[in-house]
Amino acid sequence: MKDKVATLEQAVALVSDGDVVALQNMATQAAPMALVRELIRQRKRGIGLVVLVGGMAVDWLATAGVIDRLIGAAVTMEQFGLCQQYRRAVEGGRVRVEELSESLLNARLGAGARNLPFLPTRGALGTDLIALNPDNLQLIEDPFGGDTVLACRALVPDVALVHAHRADRYGNVQYEPTAIWPDIAIMPKAAKRVLVTVEEIVDTDVLRRNPDRTILPGFTVDAVVEVPYGAHPTSFFPNYGYDAVFHRRWTEVARDDARAKDFIDRYVLAPINQQEYLHAAGGAAALQRIADWEEGA
Amino acid sequence: MSDDWRSSPPAMDYSVDELMVTVLADQFHDGDQACNGMASFIPVAAFMLARATHAPELVWLASSVGLEPRPKRIPASTLEAPLWRDSVMYLEQYSDFWTYVLNGRWIGKFCVGAAQLDQYGNANNSVIGTDYHAPKVRLPGTAGLADLCSIGKQLYYWNPNHSPRSLVARVDFISGAGYLDGGDARERLGLGGGPQIVVSNLAVMDFHPDSKRMRLKSVHPGHTVEEVQAATGFELLLSEDGAPETQVPTQAQVRLIRDVIDPDGMRKRDLRRR
Repeated sequence: MKDKVATLEQAVALVSDGDVVALQNMATQAAPMALVRELIRQRKRGIGLVVLVGGMAVDWLATAGVIDRLIGAAVTMEQFGLCQQYRRAVEGGRVRVEELSESLLNARLGAGARNLPFLPTRGALGTDLIALNPDNLQLIEDPFGGDTVLACRALVPDVALVHAHRADRYGNVQYEPTAIWPDIAIMPKAAKRVLVTVEEIVDTDVLRRNPDRTILPGFTVDAVVEVPYGAHPTSFFPNYGYDAVFHRRWTEVARDDARAKDFIDRYVLAPINQQEYLHAAGGAAALQRIADWEEGA
Repeated sequence: MSDDWRSSPPAMDYSVDELMVTVLADQFHDGDQACNGMASFIPVAAFMLARATHAPELVWLASSVGLEPRPKRIPASTLEAPLWRDSVMYLEQYSDFWTYVLNGRWIGKFCVGAAQLDQYGNANNSVIGTDYHAPKVRLPGTAGLADLCSIGKQLYYWNPNHSPRSLVARVDFISGAGYLDGGDARERLGLGGGPQIVVSNLAVMDFHPDSKRMRLKSVHPGHTVEEVQAATGFELLLSEDGAPETQVPTQAQVRLIRDVIDPDGMRKRDLRRR
């Protein structure tokens, strides 16, 4: 098997300006934030972002001018409120939104993964999402005589960005028992290239102990990078919770363009590696805080 | 769990969030299956209360992830792991959750929070303003709402900030289908289910069986029909028997909500945030 181990720089160099990039993220959960920061550091431009429910990552990418379009079901930091930088970018016409419901996005990615022209769903019938998006959504008759269904055109992202618990050098990716969103279950299978960060790179023998937890085979993966706390400040259960202090720090500045840019300078551009980033974000105290997520609950 | 809830006298010192929780809890029964999405403290409190009192066999999918969870109490997020603590099963979202939901046989009821809700029960969480690509306000987006509203579910709206801005004649964008233009419009599109009630901080509304227009069902104690109408961006229909007072929580229900289910008062966030 081919060795897939890479640095963040090498992995993100596989993303080209203008690419459609699919991002793992569910509000305050499981975003591959180290890859997101590297996209900003490499000053990627014209990226179309695919995301089920985007959070702080989308806000940062909007602040840094990386994205100019978004295909997704929602963007919000849930308890920490709307993503203000993303919101301004959309209201100002700098980011164009193709809004899909979850079942429509799942259908588009599912068709992409299986090399089908489209998959049908009954979701979203009656909504304004359909008329807005004739290029990708069309009502069709059931060829077998049933009700009208909505055909959702295949979506094939150029790149998928994923964070996982562990992988071996060959890119076989394992997940601990936790919430499994379409970001990991279907999205990487639709993408042409898959970049994975993991909490740890382990010997293949470790994966063999729990093969049922391996959720992506190495042949789908192009690069694997070991990045402990690679999802911070989002949660990555069961390893760590979301960093509420850091989320609040961002929401305090996100309404102000200049302060938001300063924040990106300080936490994204200045730290040269993950250790420096974690130190800037609060160091040992922050890591202790997010390790204790079950106590806080 | 205490079983005095049935005979417990009406509470004297309940708060409006607790009233909204008990009204919503009454809509969920043994044999129902319910799931919650993000920022849904009042629905989560209602599911937990129903399970602790009249509906112990109400099935609950916490965050649409964890089956039959045992959270210690309502945590700071309704979309993070502390809520799905001790689950019987984790539902993988793509192949489990959406399969069960899109299949009409399961998970028949859903609670909906919407930035805008109109007189026919259409919901908007997408944009404020008429130009979708240059909106006045970009809202979070439809998430799973568009699906849940179209696939035969019974929809229960909660609105902790009853105002002419949140209850409008016509939503700027339909991100969740209610009764569309009213009458049989929803039926003609082949969509089953639909909006059942709206629980706000002032009143409970339902929908006229023929016109599908929103009508006043009951007014919360301390408020009047006139006040509710003035806070609504369209004319509410009045039922033939007028608008009775909303039934208030019992003392036992309030104790359960405050002491066991949500001692940190997360349900009050729904009121502050809108």
